[in-house]
Amino acid sequence: MIHHLKVILVGSIFLTGCSSVAPWDRGILSREEMAWDLNKHETSLQGHMYSSKEAASGGVGPAGGGCGCN
Amino acid sequence: MAVKRVSKSLRALSKSAALIPLYSSYASADAPPAFTELGLRFTKYKEAKIDSEKVIYGSTDRYDIDVTQANLITPIGRNWSFTLDVQHDAMSGASPWFVGTNAYSQPGVIMSGASISDNRTEVAATTRYYFDNGNSGIKLSRSEEDDYASKSITIDSSFNSSDNLRTYSVALSRSNDEIKPTQGKVPTGFKFGRKNTESVWLAISQIINRTIITKFGLSYTQRRGQLSDPYKLLDMRPNARNSSTVNVSYRQYFNSKNASLRLDYRYYSDTWDIRAQTLTAEWYQNFKFAAVVPYLRYYSQTEAQFFNTIAETEQAYFSDDYRLSSFGAITTGIRTEYDFKKWKFELQAERYKTDPAWSISKGKDSPAIVDFWRLSLGMRYRF
Repeated sequence: MIHHLKVILVGSIFLTGCSSVAPWDRGILSREEMAWDLNKHETSLQGHMYSSKEAASGGVGPAGGGCGCN
Repeated sequence: MAVKRVSKSLRALSKSAALIPLYSSYASADAPPAFTELGLRFTKYKEAKIDSEKVIYGSTDRYDIDVTQANLITPIGRNWSFTLDVQHDAMSGASPWFVGTNAYSQPGVIMSGASISDNRTEVAATTRYYFDNGNSGIKLSRSEEDDYASKSITIDSSFNSSDNLRTYSVALSRSNDEIKPTQGKVPTGFKFGRKNTESVWLAISQIINRTIITKFGLSYTQRRGQLSDPYKLLDMRPNARNSSTVNVSYRQYFNSKNASLRLDYRYYSDTWDIRAQTLTAEWYQNFKFAAVVPYLRYYSQTEAQFFNTIAETEQAYFSDDYRLSSFGAITTGIRTEYDFKKWKFELQAERYKTDPAWSISKGKDSPAIVDFWRLSLGMRYRF
């Protein structure tokens, strides 16, 4: 729980201190490599690979269905 | 009059510039995609042989999996999109059955006897509605294996703040799974089981300046039902597991290098007393028609409270499953992308290596932890 709180605190700092960015000044942010999820195939595959080898899973986005691998 | 024209242009520019990828997985704008995209990807996945000194009985081979993925995303009208994802896995190999003691009183693995082969097919369909300051989607998926079936539903929404600097996202999901273990020479832990999973996910993404964007997310998941592994001899787990995660993500573009730094951190904890941390770093280097993306991932977990290297079967709950042991893992990989007209080609190689000594916790470990490598080749076509 304490670690959760630490990460939440760090996360809160991440979300503050922003300056105003005009809509016409956001071209860089719309570049493909700035997206949270670069490649749906890759994200889906990684989710399956890691959740079948590791105890931790989820958290990177909306959860999907299960499989027999874990 | 001139002022009016400028103002109109500015409004139009503002609206189009606001259509940026703030969402996690599905949408890149508050409007449907402007194109139809077809994607196809092949992956060869191979687990490393288990060290023969750690095996008491059985094959040292582990799993090989051939994965085929296909997807279609297309706009429908002015406010909708439709996505279809299909994945097929062809698996074969052996897996650890239980951990015993060898002639030198050291823990050793007894592998499942004959090679196991199985096929899994997953189909998922998503429809999404886009409105002025966000979008909402519903996803239905079904996964079938010889011995396992899962169906799930996910509903998600994202909303932009009035200044379009912040996006709030929420998702709810539920899956219902059925397990019918294949009966062979090796007895299974049970002959039929059900598992239900419910999850909620919340996230806030924030534009910091014109080159930096961050995201902060929380999730909570509860699993109920048959959570033991039927193919492990010594595996008796509680029938409830609640887990939560905290995520922080960071993206920064470097103009001078024409490259982006991508960082993701996750902290995980659950009611089986497992704590895990994951840190992923990617460097996305652009070239004229291509991109090269080297990446590094570090993972560390503690063991479950009922895990032991050799299962303690006198306890109410026990397991020797290596996935519940204490270990750390390092993934190194590189992905290359090449654009050619309406096509995008990609090639990716990855190595995953585990070691109990890499765990932050240094707890109870397992001789059965696994390493793997994989190679992926993909292509996408937009029209």
